[in-house]
Order: sequence, then structure tokens, then C-alpha cells
Amino acid sequence: MASVKDYKTILKMLVKEPAGLTGLIIVSAFLIWSLIQGSLELISIYTKNPKYSYMLLPHNPFAINPALALHPPTLAYLMGTNGEGEDILSRILYAIPRDAFVAIVVVFSSIVIGAVIGILSGYIGGWLDEIFMRITDAFLSLPALILVIAISVPLKANYFGVILGLSIVWWPTYARLFRGQVLEVKNADYVLSASIYNISKIRLFYKYIFLNVIDPILAYATLDLGNVILTYSTLAFIGIGVTPPIPELGAMASNGLSGLPEAWWWPLFPGLTILLIVMGFSLLGDRIQEILMGEVMY
Amino acid sequence: MKGGFIIFLIRRIINAIVTIFLLIVLLFILLHIIAPNPLTLAKIYSGNPHPTYAQLLVVEKEYGLNKPLYVQIITYIWNLLHGNLGEDPIYKVPVINLLSKYIPRTLEITIPATILSVIMGLISGAIAASNRGKGLDYFLRGVYLVTWASPTFLIATVFQLAVAYYLKLLPPYGIVNPALTPPPNTTGFPLLNALLAGDWPYFISVLRHMILPVVSLAVANFGIVTRISRASMLVNMNADYAKLSLMKGLSRRKVVYGVVLRNASIPIVTLIALLFGSSMAGSVAVEDIFQYHGMGWFITNSLLNLDYVGIISTTIIVAISVITANLIADIMYGILDPRVRVIG
Repeated sequence: MASVKDYKTILKMLVKEPAGLTGLIIVSAFLIWSLIQGSLELISIYTKNPKYSYMLLPHNPFAINPALALHPPTLAYLMGTNGEGEDILSRILYAIPRDAFVAIVVVFSSIVIGAVIGILSGYIGGWLDEIFMRITDAFLSLPALILVIAISVPLKANYFGVILGLSIVWWPTYARLFRGQVLEVKNADYVLSASIYNISKIRLFYKYIFLNVIDPILAYATLDLGNVILTYSTLAFIGIGVTPPIPELGAMASNGLSGLPEAWWWPLFPGLTILLIVMGFSLLGDRIQEILMGEVMY
Repeated sequence: MKGGFIIFLIRRIINAIVTIFLLIVLLFILLHIIAPNPLTLAKIYSGNPHPTYAQLLVVEKEYGLNKPLYVQIITYIWNLLHGNLGEDPIYKVPVINLLSKYIPRTLEITIPATILSVIMGLISGAIAASNRGKGLDYFLRGVYLVTWASPTFLIATVFQLAVAYYLKLLPPYGIVNPALTPPPNTTGFPLLNALLAGDWPYFISVLRHMILPVVSLAVANFGIVTRISRASMLVNMNADYAKLSLMKGLSRRKVVYGVVLRNASIPIVTLIALLFGSSMAGSVAVEDIFQYHGMGWFITNSLLNLDYVGIISTTIIVAISVITANLIADIMYGILDPRVRVIG
């Protein structure tokens, strides 16, 4: 098993292969754009000047222009315009950082919660394991989407409500993964010998267990970032987590249905953007898993 | 070994029941932690934006919101065991009436979708595995990657646009042609009702309206089945028994699609429950697009109305059906592969 420190080797192996390279390019483009656009949006909020938030976009994403409504894709409007004459490409680019933020926060918090529950469960075992795993099973028995919807009702389901909702239901897979990994290493000689020395439990968990089991979980997390984006966009599609007029990919696809059958570009381009991003994470995650463990999990 | 199987069965059933109860308790606790104040609910449930204190108390009492959490949970479970899910505050009818109307419609598309995705995935996985490293393998892997990464609503929109709007082969939305008079509702399932009444025009109309939602859900799920069945096929093709059959003189085709495929499909059984669950989730978006008034549509609608009771009941019914599907898959797995019973 490779260590996280060998990232240079992993990167070299990734780039060598077309699938890994494609995944890496899509994911990097997605993350870099999110960082740039996200910072510009923060600057525009801080300076109270909305101009900054769309200086890199082809058009102002909020410019309503009835004369241009349902304009088909052309060079000036690469992805066409929607029913209110807003440029779809600009709205997609504006929406992307929000998806990146949701995915990273949800996966990161799931790794943290999953690590705590999974490591304790696997290391201590007994009744604690039984209770934790029953709760984990209960969460896992329902599709995450349905569970988020259920707890979103009272949240009134704004953007941060959805992030909270997704984080509440997303960790069980990680708890399972950590538990399985811990069961494998907990009786390894180095963990036993470390536990004989008088080191703190937290240090033992972190240095001798967490760091040794994290690799395959990070590979899974790469893939999972795409899953969060898929679920989040479906929630936005049905109207959870959206604050009009701020554009959101799933919500744009849903609004675009009203333009069918003529204005096909309206619902399709936001949907295709999600497809591209998720595919990038999936290609990248698969290859990382292959490099780390010599096989794909599924 | 027979006794072993019964113990395995009982253990799995108890497990499923415990999971359902735990899920109800967890849902109540979560909802209680993040619940809105009763005033908001009172406003919605009484249909009055400025309720008086007295009205507020009435709503609180009616829905048991003033009782401690554990009492609410116990009451809910007690009522659930008696088939009573409470009254829907928006529609002012028992929730069970609403669910018995919407859930069968959703099952009518999710069950065929699950079966279809398993069949499509098994076949394409087998074809990909037996052409490993060739063009067809790469093509099929490309297809599963794309369908897997697509949001279900994109797939459904593309089908609606292409098949219904451009080719005009199937109706774009609805459950049935509204001009037809429905047959008596004997089962809750529109298709079965029509069949029992021998109402062929209605039956065909329902069937035609079902095709696009079913195919969309099946396509959304088929990627994962292809992936697992391809991997499982590759392992089994290298197994001794497959080599032996080849040596015995069976044709490669017969070995691959007969002997190996049967053994390789065992892992797919555990996947069926997962697929069913994801069809249930996917149908929320699909029903929205095809305006198919089933559970998914009801969920979206309840969400807009902040219909707490409607949502929690639907969630619990979905949980029960997914967990039951899981249980059936476990039992089937136990029958197909007796080694599982021992590990159980």
C-alpha cells in the first residue's frame, strides 16, 4: 500500500494513462475555476460591488433581457439564453463554485465523523460497536436523497441547510470503511507495540491507525465528491437549497423543462455540466484506487 | 443445514425490524433537533397566517407537538403498527389514503426499472468481459461511465425530448390518457386494475406512459450493474470450473453465457436492493419531469407545502420497502450461495 507521501509517484502514474489524465484535467479545471470564481464572489460581497463577481464571465449572469429570451446557442451565447434572456454559460460558470463548496464540506465532515465513529467502533468493539453499527445500518438502509429530503422540511432547506442535511446523512459509508480498515490493522504488530508504550490514545489513533488506513478512504472520497454533487443537484432540481435568483445547476435544469421542446439548450447544458464534473471525479477516483490498491473497488 | 437456514432467516428478519424502528427513532430525533417552531407549523396547518394563541394550542394538541419527544415516538410507532399514520394536515385526510394512492404507482415504475437494469447490466457486463480489451469493451465501459455520472433528471429529460417530443413515439407526460375512464380501483396499481377489468385501451395507455420513466430509471442504474457483472465475469472466467467446461468441449459461447454468467450473477443479487433504493430516490426527479403523480411527486409537493406528516410517512414507507427489498435479497443470496448462511 502506497503512502500519501508518494503523491509524486501517484501523479506520474495517473498522467501516463488517458483515463486518469482526463479525470485529473476535468477535476483540476473544476476546482481551480471554483477557487477563482469563488474568490471573486467573496471580493464582490466584501467591496459591495457586484461587478467583480462576473468580470471573468462572458456576460452578466443576472442581466434579464426579454429581447434575447430563448436565444439558441451562437458564438456570442455559446449555450444559448433562458426564458428571461440570461446567458446560460455565464450562469453555469457562476454556479460551479457552490457545487464545489458543498462537495468538499460534505465529504470532509463525513471523513471526520466517519473516522471518529469507525475507529472507535472497530478498535473498542463490543456493545459500542454494536450500537454504532446499528445506527450506521439504519442510515444506510435509506437512499441519502430521501433522508435529506425528510430532514430538509423543517430546515426550510436553504443552501446551508442542505449542506447540514447532507453532512448528517453522508458519513455512514465512511464509518463502515474506517471500521473495516481498523479491524484489519488493529492487531498489527506496530499498533500493538505502540499501545504498550505510554502514548496518548489520541496520538495512537491518529499516528498508528488513522494515517495507516486513510489511503483507500481518500481514493473513495475522490469518487464520492462526484456523488455528493449528483445528490446536491437532484435536491436543487426539486427545489431544495436554492435561493433565486442565484443560479444553481440542478435548479437551472428544472426551470429549463418549461422551455421544452424547443429550447433544448436550457435544461440540457446545466445537466451536461454536472455529468462532466461527476465523470471527472469518477475517472480520477477509479485510477487512484487502482494505483493504491491494484484494483478497482467495484 | 436446513436448521442453519432458518436461524439465518430469523436473524435477518429481526435485524430488518430493528433497523426500521431505529430509523423511525432517528428521524424523530433529527426532526426534533432541527424542527421549526410550532408557530410556523400552526400557521401552515391551520391555513391561517395569523393564528391566535388558542388556535396554536389546538394545532399543537392535534398533532401531539406539545408532548415530550419519546411520547411522540411511541405514539407514532403504536399507530404505525395499527396502520394509522395520522391525518395529513394539508389535505385533511388520513395520510394512509394518500400513500395507498401514490406508492403503488411508484412501485409500478421502480420494480420494472430494477429488473430491467439488472438484465441490461448483466448482458452488457458479460459482453464487455468476453471482449476484454477490445473496442466493444471500451465502448460499453464508456457507456456505463456516462450513465453512472449522469444525474437521473438529465437522462429523463433527454428521453422525453428525443422519444416523446421529436420522434413522437410515446406520450411526454402523465400516467394515462386523461380522456379514458379509469377501471375500478381494486389493487391500487393502475396497470393491474386495467388488467383485472379487462380494459385494454386503458391498459395500453398506462403501459405507454410507463415506458419512459421506467427506461430512464433503468438506464440511470445500469452502469453499476455492468461494472460489477463485468468484474465478476472476469473472475469467474478464469476459475477452474470454466476452464474445465472448455476442456470438456463446450463452446466458448456456451461457457461464457451459460455457465459463467449464472455464477457471476450471484453478487448482483446483493445489489438488487440497492438498485431498488436508488430507483426510489431517482423517481423523485423522474416523476417531476414526466408529471407522473406518484410518491416522488407527492414528496416534492409536500416539501413545497411544508407537509411534515406527509414527508415523514413517505420516508418511513420507502424505508420499509427498501429494507424489505434488502431482506429478500439477503434471503435469495442465502439460497443461491449456502456459504453465506454460515458467515451470516
